[in-house]
This record gives sequence, C-alpha cells and structure tokens, in this order.
Amino acid sequence: MYDLRLSEEQIAIRDMVRDFVAQDVFPIATKPERLEPFDTPLAIDLVDAASELGLRTLALPEDAGGAGADTLTCCIVAEELAAGDVDVASVLARTAALGGVLFNQLMNDEQRGRFLPAFVEDSRYHLALADREAGMETALGVDYHRDTGNRVDVATTARRNDRGEWVVNGEKTRVANAPLAKLFAVLVATDAGNGILLVPADAPGLTVTEVPRDGGWYVGSCGDVSFKDCAVPADNMLGPEAADLLAGPGSDFGLPEAQAINLGVGRAAFEAAMEYAGVRVQGGRPIVEHQAIGAKLAEVLINLETARNAIWQAAWTVDNPGAEPTGNFPPLPRAKISQVVTAERIYRATKDSAECFGAMGVMRDMPLQKYIHVSRVFLHTGDGNADTKLRIAEAATGFSHP
Amino acid sequence: MDFSLNQEQRAWQEKARKFAAEEIAPLSLERDAILDPFDAFDWEIIKKGSKLGFRTAVISREQGGHDIDFVTQAIVMTELAKADSAISKTFSQCWKWSHLIAAVCNDDQKERFLEPFLADDTFVLGFGATEPNGGSDNRMPPPGDIRAGHRLAGRVEGDTMVLNGDKVFIANGSIAKLFFVYVRTDPTVPIGQGTTLMMVPRDTPGFRHGKVFNKSGWRFYQNAELIFENARLPMANMVGELNGALRRREGEIGGDLFGDLELAANGLGICDAACDKAIALVRARKNGGALKDQQLIQLKIGRMKMLTEALRSYVMRVAWEHDEHILSTNAGLAMNLATDIIQEVTEIGMEIFDHAGTPMDRGIDKLVRDTFIWSHLAGDSVQRMKVARRVLSEEKFNLI
Amino acid sequence: MDFALTEEQRAWQMKARKFAEEEIKPITLERDQIADPVETFTWDIIKKGSKLGFRTSVLEKERGGPAIDYVTQAIVMAELARGDSAISKTFSQCWKWTHVIQALCTEEQKQRFLPAFLADDTYVMGSGGTEPGSGSDNRMPPDDPRAGMKLKAERDGDDWILNGDKVFIANGSIAKLFFVQARTDPTVRMADGITRFLVPRGTPGFRHGKVFNKSGWRFYQNAELIFENARIPDSLRVGEVNGARKKAAGDVSGDMFGDLELAANALGICDDACEKAISIVKSRQQGGQPLKDQQLIQLKIGRMKMLTEALRSYVMRVAWEHDQRIHSVNAGLVMNLSTDTGQEVTDLALDIFDRAGAPADPAADKLARDMYIWSHLAGDTVQRLKFGRNIIAHAA
Repeated sequence: MYDLRLSEEQIAIRDMVRDFVAQDVFPIATKPERLEPFDTPLAIDLVDAASELGLRTLALPEDAGGAGADTLTCCIVAEELAAGDVDVASVLARTAALGGVLFNQLMNDEQRGRFLPAFVEDSRYHLALADREAGMETALGVDYHRDTGNRVDVATTARRNDRGEWVVNGEKTRVANAPLAKLFAVLVATDAGNGILLVPADAPGLTVTEVPRDGGWYVGSCGDVSFKDCAVPADNMLGPEAADLLAGPGSDFGLPEAQAINLGVGRAAFEAAMEYAGVRVQGGRPIVEHQAIGAKLAEVLINLETARNAIWQAAWTVDNPGAEPTGNFPPLPRAKISQVVTAERIYRATKDSAECFGAMGVMRDMPLQKYIHVSRVFLHTGDGNADTKLRIAEAATGFSHP
Repeated sequence: MDFSLNQEQRAWQEKARKFAAEEIAPLSLERDAILDPFDAFDWEIIKKGSKLGFRTAVISREQGGHDIDFVTQAIVMTELAKADSAISKTFSQCWKWSHLIAAVCNDDQKERFLEPFLADDTFVLGFGATEPNGGSDNRMPPPGDIRAGHRLAGRVEGDTMVLNGDKVFIANGSIAKLFFVYVRTDPTVPIGQGTTLMMVPRDTPGFRHGKVFNKSGWRFYQNAELIFENARLPMANMVGELNGALRRREGEIGGDLFGDLELAANGLGICDAACDKAIALVRARKNGGALKDQQLIQLKIGRMKMLTEALRSYVMRVAWEHDEHILSTNAGLAMNLATDIIQEVTEIGMEIFDHAGTPMDRGIDKLVRDTFIWSHLAGDSVQRMKVARRVLSEEKFNLI
Repeated sequence: MDFALTEEQRAWQMKARKFAEEEIKPITLERDQIADPVETFTWDIIKKGSKLGFRTSVLEKERGGPAIDYVTQAIVMAELARGDSAISKTFSQCWKWTHVIQALCTEEQKQRFLPAFLADDTYVMGSGGTEPGSGSDNRMPPDDPRAGMKLKAERDGDDWILNGDKVFIANGSIAKLFFVQARTDPTVRMADGITRFLVPRGTPGFRHGKVFNKSGWRFYQNAELIFENARIPDSLRVGEVNGARKKAAGDVSGDMFGDLELAANALGICDDACEKAISIVKSRQQGGQPLKDQQLIQLKIGRMKMLTEALRSYVMRVAWEHDQRIHSVNAGLVMNLSTDTGQEVTDLALDIFDRAGAPADPAADKLARDMYIWSHLAGDTVQRLKFGRNIIAHAA
C-alpha cells in the first residue's frame, strides 16, 4: 500500500525541470538586482521558456497536448521551479492547476471545444480564478464551533439579459495571474446561488489593474479585476459543482501546489546553506563540521521533509477523493494541515539556513533574505494559520457550519 | 532592590521619548523604503539629535559631555529605538567608542579626537573588525590557529604604521569621521596576541570606504566596506600597546560589554513599538467580530507583553550591573535573550495584523526585518557559545 | 535602579539557603519516591523550618512575626525551592493566607487564630476554591448563574450551613485552618455570589477525603474537602456576604501574592536545574571528551542560564512592585513566564543528563515533573487569557 517511489514519468519530469532551472532559471534569478524584494518585475521570458517545456499545460491529458500530470506531479514541478524563481513557479502552477480542473473536470464538451485549442497553442495563454473580494472578511475563528453563520456572500453578480447572456458586475481583488490571464473563472452570485462563469480577458467591460509589487507582498503575478456590465455567452457558465470545488469554504483547490512552491523556496535556502557551510572555514574547519551548525542544518532538513510529507499526502488525497489513509478520524482537511505545517516550518527553515551566512544572511544582494521574505509572505497572507487550525479542529470534531 | 528611575534618568527618558515621537517616527518608514542603502541615511536627524546631546551623551561632564549613567543609556536607547532601531543605533554606536576614547586614549589622542567629536554634530564613530575571512573567527578564534581571524595587515615603519587590506559590514562605515580598527600587526601568532587597535581618521591617505551594503533591515544604519591601500597612520594613533588590543583590560566596560547592553536595550524599544501597534490595532478593529474579544488575540497580546517586560527587567538589571562595575555573564545573556524575544514579539505582532485583515502592514514588516539583524550579529551561535563557555568557567555558582 | 539586597535581605537569603542545603536537599528525592501520596509528607522538616521562621515569615511584627518584605519573600521562596519546590510551597502557602488574614479579617478573627498559628510549628493553612465542576470557571467566572462553584452556604440563624466538595485543595490533609469560598447566592453569576469563610479543622460536618496522587510536587498535600451540613458561625465569615470575588475597579492584579509565589518558586527550581547541569557537564566525559567542550552542550547550558537570569530579573522587579504597593499585570505575566521558563530549563536539564540506554536521572526527572504542575495551576490558558484581556483593556 505505502510506496514512496515516484513513477518513472514523475522522475523524468522532475529531472527535466531541475535541469531547466539549473541552467536557465537559477543564474538569472539569483542576480543581485533580482533579489531586491520590493520591486522586481516578473521574468516573463522565463515564464515563456517554461511554457515551451509544457509546464503550462501539464495537467491536460496526453491526447489533448498535456502530460496527464496529477496533483502530486504538479507539486513536484512547482517545487522544482520555485527553487529557481518563485514568481515563475507561481504563475505556471496556477495556470497548470486551473487548466487541469477546468478542462478535465468542470467544462462540458462544448466549452472545451471553444477554449481548449487556444489554450494549448498559445504559449502565453494563462488562467486566473477571480474569487476574492474586498468585503470578504476572514473570519478569524469568530464563528469557531458556533451555529451562528458567518458565511461569506459574493458581491459580484451575474444576471441574464434579454439576449440570454450573462452580465457581470463587481470587483475582484488580488487575483493571481490576472495581468497575464486570457481566461478568467469568476465566482459570481446568480439568482440560483453561487456559480463559476468563464470570462475571456477581452470581454468588453473587464478591466485588469496590476497590483504594484511595492513591498513584494505577493508571489507571481497579481491584479485587481473590475467587471462593468461585462457580457458573456450563456454557455459560459460552469456546472453547479464548480463554485464549491474551486472557491467553497472546504475547497482545497490550489493549496498543495502553493505549499510546494513554499517548500521549493525552503529547499533553495537549505541547498545554499549546505553548500556554503561546506566551504566556509571558521573555528578551524568548514562550519558544517561544527555541532552548532550541523544541528541547525539537520533541523532545517527535518522541517523540509516534514513539510514535504504533509504536502504530498494532501496532494494524494486530492487525487484520491474519499480515501482517508488512516481511518483514525473523520476525513481530515489534509491540505489545511499541510498549509500550517508548511508555512511554519519553511519559515523556520529559511531563517535557520540564513544564519549560516552570518551578516550575508541579511544582505539584499544575496538570496537568503529573499527566501526568508517569501516564506514570510506565505506565512502571513492567504487564510491565516490561526483560522486554519480552527477549521481543522472543526473537522476533527465533525462539526460543520449550517 | 529598586526598579524606579531617579529624576535625572526620568528627564532623559522624557527628552528621548519626545525626540523619538516628534522627529524620528515621522521619517522612519520613509527612510526604510529608500532603495539605495546610502541614500537611506539622513544627516538632518543626526544633527537634531546631536544638538539634544544624544550623540555625545556618555562623555564625562568635565570633558564636555553629559555623563549619563548606564541605566540612562539603556533607557535612551530604548526610547529612540521605539521610533527607529537603526537611528537609535547610529547614535549609540558613538557611545560605544566614546567610552573607549575616554577610558584608554592618552591626552594627545583625546585632544585630537575628543574635541572635534564633541564640537561637530556630524562626527560619528565607527569600528572595524569584520573581514571577509574573519566573522565568527574574530569573535571566537580557534585556539592556536594563526590563519584564522582578521588579516588587515599593519606594518610598523618608524613612527608610522602602513595598513593594507579590507574590512566589511563596518558600522557607520560610509559616514564616520573616525574609526577604531583592529589591525593584524603580528600574523605569526593567533589574533589574540597579534592585534593592535588603531584610530583611523576618515581623511587618512590610502584609506577609503567602498560598497555600502544593502541590508534587508536596519536600512538607515550604514554598513560599509573599508579599504586600506598602503594607508599611512601615525603610531600616535595606536590605542594601548602594540599587539595588545585583544587582551582584556581589568574592569573595562566599553566595547563588547557595552555592545551587549546596547543591543538588548535597542531591541527592547522594538518590542515596545510592536506591542503598542498591536494593542492599538486590537482595540480598534473588528474582523467578523471585535478582535479584542477573540481568545487567540488575547493570548498573543499577553505573550507579547510578557516577553517584553521580562526583557525590560533583565536589561535594567544589566544596566545597573554596569553602573556598579559588576562584570558578569548577564550582559551577553541578555543580548542573546533579546534576539529571541524581539523576533518572537514582532512575529506575533505580524500575526495580529494578519488577524485584523491587513497583513501587509509596512510598519510591522519593518520591525520584523530589523529584528532579524540580531541573528546576524548578536544572537548567533558563536555569541551564545562564548557566553556559555564563560558561564561554565565560573568557579562557584553565583546567585543574586 | 538597584538590584542589590540589603543586609537583612541577604541574611534571610543565607538562612534559607543553609536550611535548603542542610535539611531539605537530603530528603527531597526520597520523599518524592514514596508511592503513597499521604506518606510523602513529613512534619519533621516543617517543624525545623518553622523554628527558623519560615512558616510565619510574613506575620506582622505587632503579632510577633518577622514581617519580611516581598523582596525577601521572593528570595526565601526561591532558596527553599532550590532544595525542594513542594516543601517551599508548603511554607509559602501559609504566607498566602497570612496575607489574607491580615488584609481582610476582623480583629476578633485575627485574635482567634493568629496566636495559635504563631505558637504551633505544625499550624499550616489551606485554601478552598477548586471543585470538580469548577476549575477554570473559578479563575474566569462565567456569566451563567448555573456555572461555577457549587459548594453552598445557606444562612441558618447566626450560622451558615455548608454542603458540597472541594478538590485539589493545597495542604488539604494537614492544614488546621482553611479559607473556603462558598456559593451564597446561586441565582446570580458566580462573581456576584461568593462568600469566603474561615473553616477550622475539626468543624463538625467537615472533613478531608482523598489525597491526590500527583506526578510532581509529591510532598505537597492536595486533598478533597467534604462538607456535609458543616456549621460555620457568621463570626467566621471573611468580608461581605457575596463579596469574595468582587474586584476593585481597575485592579489588574489577579492573585497577587500567589503569582509572585509561583514565579519565585520556579526560579528556585531553575537554579537547582542549572547547578546540577553545570556540575554534570564539568565532571562527565563522553568519548574521552568532557561534556562541557561539546558545542551543543554549551548552547544548552547558555540557554538555561539565560532564561533563569531573565526570570530572576523579572521576579525581583515584581517583588519590588509588591513592596511599593504597585498593582500591575506584571505579577501575572511573570507567573506565566515562570511556567514557560521553568519547563524549558528543566527539559534542557533532562537533555543534558541523557545517556543512551540509561533511564532518566531521577533528580532531573523530578524537577521536570514538579515544573509540569505549573501548567495545571499557573501557566494554563485561562491564566494567560486573563492577563491578555487586562492588557488590552488597561495598558497605557
């Protein structure tokens, strides 16, 4: 039952990406001018190069032009890319994951026929999920284990007009990939409840404003999306299961891949520290040969591997829904567990790795401080760890909100 | 046992608090956001603080300073750091080395350097030890190893010393008018026996500063490379004996012992800033429900305050020990503790901003980045081991 | 600013240290290892300490006591705890209730009990708060009248009739006098309906029951108290009816002496742990190398000492605040800190004593077990929530 070996295909993809990163990505990503976290533009050339390797369409079946990659494989690829450049990895992982779910699961034949060819052929065809809105408060466990609903209402609306089209009005914030996306999956409120509507980027009435990179508090590409009487064909609405799957409160969509990216960053920090500690001589020997540093690096490695275990279990659960490995508890939200584990441990790992570098660990022309910054971003954005832990507690006690 | 301040101490505290709130706080974030590390510095705030006495505060009254005791020094550093840690450090770096001038310089050296230091609002001091090859090795030299540690070479030629080599990460490196530099005057023995302390004025021929390091935190604070190419110094600039710099003087409080207190007191200011920000946010904000009513928030605020007050207690005790000329391991231990506490307190502060729904607050992010500097100069493994070894070498078990 | 001790404070410190070294240390492990929780206790050490003044230390001079200040109290508690935490606590529990008698009792009540307390070396005191259904609820009383303490006191002429149980009561099996909180108004929330009574041992209808068998603090006697129509005269009521839990507005202090007590006691445990750990690393070798030369050992010793000295600094500051009658959240915060510090320091000591294939060092193990008690009365979540709330509400 329990097999830690990757398949031959997974190993082949991993190694291909690893080589690509070593030769083409890493040398560019670690240039001093790209390490300044406040103002580094996305390396779109690297995104395109990765796209040429098939990393954008990874999750499509082979006969549709992809590699048939499951969630675990997507996580492996995301980690490898992130160890090179976290922004490149984020853009591609988002498109690949969305592509997989939309084309393989949620679109009907007619929709697939309309959108798939362009997606496959255009190496700059990226996807975005526009779900978050400014008014959506994160609940902070205010409603933890309480019957009082604190459910989130979607303010972006989609209404049918006389021509039977869907007309969208509303604002979405901090949408990953928005400046690059050619197609948006938009969470809308209709008369029949929440739904996901496919909206092409060139639909009239859709405006994207890129979120400035100032402060660097996101990874990848990010924009606000505004819809003003934006009309799309009636057939662009996805089926009723789509809203919950992509954006419902229990949704794990995209979580394992995001965590794998964080893991990749942590791994890059560790590898840098291991390399340096093997050559830096102080106290008469390479510092890796001192107990103080050895113990620290061991802890970094333990943290990386603990996170990896959690992430890969979560990814496997996404690919094998309904299969609870241990049967010990009610089905656990594994992607939420791995989110907490990964965010906390990778943050610790990057900081400990940086310590090996002495003062250089805080210099902006060196990568360590950027790895720390990125792991901090993962720890402090998205659903907070505190809220996530309470959701896990609810799952463990079998509690669900009305 | 008395934890209160006397009137004079309270007066300095008020003065520092006012300067911090009115002059430093308004420019702190803006300085931090400047991309070029040299441009992040600003002389105006230094001049203003200097006129209030913050630059020259520890020089004795007879010599023209304010003679503040260590308790007052700790309090002032904390108050200034609460508004901006790096700006506080820029001032206190002057104290670190003016202690030394007052303690070990001869009359000629005092006249040449102390007087201009006192008179010129832009006269700041620096210290040069770290080199590419010597970081941890300078702090904990491997016994008997002559290749380890700083290598800036000093060759004596009559009444001149000729220096060749580099220093890196030097505090106030791009702006100081006078540096205290560790020179390897005898490379045939370990650094403990072969180091001389030289005073290097900025205008020394053959001496210049190089790159200014672009740091993730403490951005106002200028850390730079120092380059010596056949730099010529009069032997009259030597402090103490040739090759005698790293032999510890009896009762000497300046240098590292002050530095330990300095970093702990400065860190305490950061904790105070983080606590104030977090408590204010929690009182004001709702996110689904009033933040202050959430248990997780209450626990976090309590923890921030607990750690901050523990640090304050220890910092004041160490300051008092300095005033009593008690040399103990507490200074080093308090600095190590400061590293741990300030990082935890600011991280929790950041979590509280997450809870409030505003996770990208620039203010709290700066505090976190500033505290991370401590791991790279103060609380790292080598510092901890040095202090632990001193603890282990204490003969009897020493309680209060 | 001054962390020095006066001559008198130093004298008490040395007296306590000597007593701990010569009388407490020799018996501490042996007592801890006795299986029966009643048998772990012995009057012998209490009598010896009592003769030196450690039982009656805070009794006012007018009543014949030494009336030591809070700084001295903190120092003595730490020194005794360095010998044995539970033995130290047995003494200081008497101070806790002496403070209460002196602050809240009537002159008549003081006359009735204090002379006997002073004269009898075996006169110790206990509390009476916790019940099976009310632990955390006692510390953070809920608004629901049905929640909280249930031991009830009903008025009957000049007396009160008490019915119910208390559990985990300190000195429960050996005290001669208890301070019992009872529900005198069950129709309102707990904070508004509790009255405090003095209950002497031997009161008809009152007895102690089971003595709890604890993993740590084994010398310390925690017992069940059983009240079956126990009759207490109104003259033994302390303070107003229903007034026991009412706090003065703005009083952020929590259980002020108790907070300092636990923090100072934990400090003694930390000192003991540091001393033992430093001693062992100096003397023990591994693979031909002294332990003290190993980096990881050095880092652990440094950490133990750092945390201990930080705790000492904060404890002394809070003791000074008490002497100045400054009531701040620092008392509660230092107690919370002592939980975290004491547990980390004793865990590190266990690490240092680790030997592959050998059982844990019994003394180091005892220290860790003793420190673990703090999570169950002092550093637990409710205590932390209380102070978090106070800070948010009141911090300057």
